[in-house]
Amino acid sequence: MKFRLSDRQVGVLFMLPLIIAVAVFLVWPIAEAVRMSFVRYNPLRPDDQPFVGLDNYLFVLEDPLFWESFWQAIVWTGWSTVMQALIGVGLAMLLHQPLKGMNAFRGLLLFPYIVPTVVIALNWRWLFNSEIGIVNHLLMSVGVIDERIAWLSTPTMAMTSAILLNVWKYTPFVVIVVLARLQTIPTELYDAAKVDGAGAFRRFRDITLPQLAEVLAVVIVFRTIWTFNKFEEIYLLTRGGPGTSTYNLALYAFDQSIANLRMGVGAAAGVIMLLLLLVGSMVYIRVSGFGREDKAV
Amino acid sequence: MTMRLSRRAALATGLSATTLAAPAFAQTRERVARVWGEPGPYIGVFTNGLNEWAQRNAPGLRFEAEQIAWDSVYTKLATDLAARRPPALISVESPIAYQLAAEGLLEPMQDVNTAIRARERLVDGFTIDDFGTWKGTQYAVPLHHQGCLFIMQDDARQEAGLSDPTNWTWNDLLNSAKAIQAKRQGSAGFTMALGRNICGDYHIQQLIWQAGGMTWDPARSFETTFNSPATIETYEFIKELYATMPRSAVEFSFLQVVDQHVTGRTGSSFYWGRTMGRAFDEAKPIYEKMEYYLNPAHPRTGARWSWTDINGFIMPRQNNPFIRETKEAMAHVMNSTDWMVRYANSLFPNVGPVFKDQATAPDLLNNPMYQQKKRSVDVIFTGFVPYACNSGHELKKGINPLAGIGHGRNVWSQVAQRILVNNENPRAAVEWGHRQFEDIRRENRRLLG
Repeated sequence: MKFRLSDRQVGVLFMLPLIIAVAVFLVWPIAEAVRMSFVRYNPLRPDDQPFVGLDNYLFVLEDPLFWESFWQAIVWTGWSTVMQALIGVGLAMLLHQPLKGMNAFRGLLLFPYIVPTVVIALNWRWLFNSEIGIVNHLLMSVGVIDERIAWLSTPTMAMTSAILLNVWKYTPFVVIVVLARLQTIPTELYDAAKVDGAGAFRRFRDITLPQLAEVLAVVIVFRTIWTFNKFEEIYLLTRGGPGTSTYNLALYAFDQSIANLRMGVGAAAGVIMLLLLLVGSMVYIRVSGFGREDKAV
Repeated sequence: MTMRLSRRAALATGLSATTLAAPAFAQTRERVARVWGEPGPYIGVFTNGLNEWAQRNAPGLRFEAEQIAWDSVYTKLATDLAARRPPALISVESPIAYQLAAEGLLEPMQDVNTAIRARERLVDGFTIDDFGTWKGTQYAVPLHHQGCLFIMQDDARQEAGLSDPTNWTWNDLLNSAKAIQAKRQGSAGFTMALGRNICGDYHIQQLIWQAGGMTWDPARSFETTFNSPATIETYEFIKELYATMPRSAVEFSFLQVVDQHVTGRTGSSFYWGRTMGRAFDEAKPIYEKMEYYLNPAHPRTGARWSWTDINGFIMPRQNNPFIRETKEAMAHVMNSTDWMVRYANSLFPNVGPVFKDQATAPDLLNNPMYQQKKRSVDVIFTGFVPYACNSGHELKKGINPLAGIGHGRNVWSQVAQRILVNNENPRAAVEWGHRQFEDIRRENRRLLG
């Protein structure tokens, strides 16, 4: 007997790894998080999970730390994303110039994005150590500052340092995506604009930006989601401190689950984050007009 | 009937079989029993001893040390227990041992304690119960102790014209820190951990006890007693003392306090024996001028409590297939004075010897640090013992299984951060802490029985 699969079956077979991976690593964890958000679950007693209805959600919504974390997550995400977009577009424009050796710069730019977050965060802790860190040492050596700056020890500076780390690490992602789009913009558009007397700023505003609009919409949505959910950078850099000044919702969910042994509450916080991001992304995509041109066609 | 298998099907079958069989194959090659311990070489030394037993008595079994920072122990515990994949053995401080014992998660260890004659061999000042007994059952085997003490650079003290710290009170501590800070530009007068971490909890708690405060009172049904005047006084004192510390002390944990001291950036600090060990290895001039003292006494109570790691071995009861073999291996190592001396010598003088034969063994007494700093090492190993205290057994008034949960949430250090970072009034911050501790008590009432 010859065992032959039809093309359709082969197609399904090729898709199977993805379907299994999505089901196991995406659908099941989300479903499990939703289930856990309705039970009381101490991880030290995994066999005891009584149903508690909406208690975990009420706990989260009545917790002042949740709201503090929420606003800090907005600040952290907002500043990080805006700065990444601005610096990312600027750097992409520079790297788009046809200069000798530009490919080397493009390669180097990927460095922060490639290095594992744990390495970067721990290095930054040393660099920004107010007592023995090199940043303070250099600034004092050249006379920029007289006293050491407590980079990670005051609420404002700690949040600034965390945002700087995030911007430094993830701007290359924005650069890559924007640069790829810049390279597909027809040069005729710029030539025609020049003939019509448009200056550099006018060309940027009326040609480059509109051409980048869609790609920027995608980049900003992705960066917003990833940054809002970001856990490891803040955890490794400041652990949410000093005080709770750099706490975001990911840290809140983690601490509730692990430190406070309230897995149900942590899961409820995670589900709320999921809903917030879902609604935020939908609103943003609608406002930014992403995909509108396609529909018009 | 002939059955022809296409190349594609053969490939798919082979890949599937390999994928499915790989984990099983890997598991059957060697049985690995994981042993958790603090970062540092000592857990590795103990594990070597366990493996000596395994090689002779359990071929195919290998003990493997996993170093877990105390700030991460909850993460590992929670995830590994929830995954039903606990380690075979955990070296743990008694507050967490009490908590896990009360949760019913631990294997009784009386048999090991009997096999190693722990009661007869234990150094003076400790009992087996201190290490992790709950409701009459011993769940821990004594492993080591370390008390948090006051460390002074004697050159800094002399430069500032200060007296011998042996009889100092809190007032002397504050004045000396101010004097050193004024004398040595760019250096802190004093350093302790004030970050939101377990080291901050420990440093703060010993001051609270010295002032006569407690978090819960086991003698009064574990009533939450955190918001006492003694606690408020302590946080006010810490606020005053903070002016003599590095500003970044609000993010300091264990490592940063030691770094600060061994790099010569502070005149004095609170810490365990490790500062001496690090200075011995890395900063000889600092080491030579370093002396350990009992903690300065509270001016009213005269108390000098030390937050003490009363560290024992505990064993998860459920889903632990290595119980019998691990117990036998432990007895092998702990009955050997030689192995226990190697254990204590591996991070001298951080892991204090718990057994008399170990504490008096020539190899331990001949350690160069012991020879050069006998007075300080005696304070570290034995002098502090009358003042040994920890959060699971506050002021030695009764064992409390809630303390481990309090450390998981770093409530003590969070209170300090509210005062020092958010400029909250100490009384209000202590009231906030009191509510957190009351929540812990209410949520975990079942543990108290």
